[in-house]
Amino acid sequence: MVHALEEIHRLLRPDGVLIDIHPAREAPLVEVHADGRIVVTETYPRAHGDDLVQAEEALSESVRTGVFAEEAVRAFEFMTYGSSVAELRAFFEEAGAYDTSPIDDQVAARRDAMYIRLEEVGRRSGKRAEIGFREPTRMSRLAPS
Amino acid sequence: MQALFDLADLDRKHVLEIGPGTGRLTWRYADRTAYVTAVDPWVDGIERARQTTPTTVAKRVEFHPTALLDFAADHGPSVYDVAILSWSLC
Repeated sequence: MVHALEEIHRLLRPDGVLIDIHPAREAPLVEVHADGRIVVTETYPRAHGDDLVQAEEALSESVRTGVFAEEAVRAFEFMTYGSSVAELRAFFEEAGAYDTSPIDDQVAARRDAMYIRLEEVGRRSGKRAEIGFREPTRMSRLAPS
Repeated sequence: MQALFDLADLDRKHVLEIGPGTGRLTWRYADRTAYVTAVDPWVDGIERARQTTPTTVAKRVEFHPTALLDFAADHGPSVYDVAILSWSLC
């Protein structure tokens, strides 16, 4: 990762900026929206891997070694909407398809149970129900040193 | 996407996006830029991004199904105004 950051530094103009976007440590939420309000909210089950820690360490290392200087940090929520649980589920499967590591069985089972509950809520809420994925995200701006 | 626009001036800038996947972020900012070059080794994601590129930004976005380090090896220094690591460090 550090080598990748050094290559990005090389590709950037001296007055350029690097924007890093990665998940915050807070768990994402899945929401059912209907008639302009949130009907139900569930925590999206996820595995706690080392990826996030390694990403933050790589960024810190690039700042420590003077490759980049961190100028600003923002926390925000990245929203993705689907018209049904099936659509959002397909989005997750597609978005996660790059990751070929095995999925933790317990996490997979908790996700399946969550999808069943959300589908039931969606059915009860009628045709206007929409599924939202609220992803706490950290964004930082870094300048080449 | 206001958080991104608050942190980076993308107007008429040349942007390198690393890890666009299927383009879910790219479509939200590309219309402001001069040009977006997006690289991702996930071939299926890049193919999907190409297939779903909105016509409004089709002429200013190009996707490369390759890893950043391979892409960088073929490119000289000081090319881009903005680089975006799009959920790709982890």
